[in-house]
Amino acid sequence: MEKIIYAIIANAGKTEQVNDYVTNIRGITGSNLYALHFNEISVAVSDFQSSKFIISKELAIDFARVIEELSQQLTVLPIRFGTVVKSDEIVKQLLTDNYNAFRENLLKVENKHEFGLKVIWDYDKCSEKIRSKVESEEINAGKYFSKSTINTNYLLEKLKKHRLEDAVLKHVELLIEEISRFLAQINPDCKFKKMLSQNIILDGVFLVEKNMKSEFIEAIEALKQQHDDLHFLLTGPWPPYSFVEIQIDK
Amino acid sequence: MSENKILLNSVPADEIKEAIENIENTVTSRINATPDNADHGLAQLVLTLIELIRKLVEKQAIRRVEGGSLTEDEIERLGETLMKLENKMEELKKIFNLTDEDLNLNLGPLGDLM
Repeated sequence: MEKIIYAIIANAGKTEQVNDYVTNIRGITGSNLYALHFNEISVAVSDFQSSKFIISKELAIDFARVIEELSQQLTVLPIRFGTVVKSDEIVKQLLTDNYNAFRENLLKVENKHEFGLKVIWDYDKCSEKIRSKVESEEINAGKYFSKSTINTNYLLEKLKKHRLEDAVLKHVELLIEEISRFLAQINPDCKFKKMLSQNIILDGVFLVEKNMKSEFIEAIEALKQQHDDLHFLLTGPWPPYSFVEIQIDK
Repeated sequence: MSENKILLNSVPADEIKEAIENIENTVTSRINATPDNADHGLAQLVLTLIELIRKLVEKQAIRRVEGGSLTEDEIERLGETLMKLENKMEELKKIFNLTDEDLNLNLGPLGDLM
């Protein structure tokens, strides 16, 4: 029977406790969840017949539910949905071969939660403000074009557009810098993507000490108060999906 | 996302609705070629790539103008070429009934292409 892998778990030598907790959680498709162990790490798996099931959104959400339940009591490294191997022996081999990498990552996320933060603005409104600022700094056309023709006028318009895009990006970078500086008091690990779309200027994930959760939420609340023109969406706590960095040795 | 996962939200409801719709449309906003519309799907793919390259060329050209390394003649030719390229793209978009949004693919977690 094939096995689907959910998460790597730190067991701190307490394999019986891990067994008890894991077996009380229902796996996807109603399967029984169980744990396999190697030294101080374990892995949560269940039986899975890949030929019987169509990979669907519902199945992926149920898979996330299992990881979520595991992470409520245990330190876990979530495994990518759809990781199916042929037997328990292969799972154990995976644990043995990657033991050090798993341990290092588990130590990195121990006692920490992941939070997601999206910062959204009204692009049209905000870029209009920046546009008036950019346009007030008149471009000296004579510096670039010695005569005015249809072609140079076209380039001048492009030059203005280019300046506006640069100014918008610079503005966003300054905002992100300010947000990072402000959150440095909580000292989270973080990863950012900026300008994911015109309106989402920041899509960030933060790894925060569990006991700093309230302070982190308060810090975001304070940021929100400081920036009327920005909208904040803070979610979590999540299992550390974005902070697992392992190259699996097969 | 379960309700209790939202810790703080100042995003207006209509923007959230729009964002959800965008996510749901991500799949359909990708190049969607079927046996019935293969030519349209292919045109969208090709024009998307051309538009991406055209915008990169345009950016590079503007940098060169700003850098002041071009002669008067070169600037004239550059302006004319970029204008013709943009006009040609507009024509092609009309022919294949495509909009700017059609040529800006949503790459999921990587964001928009352009």
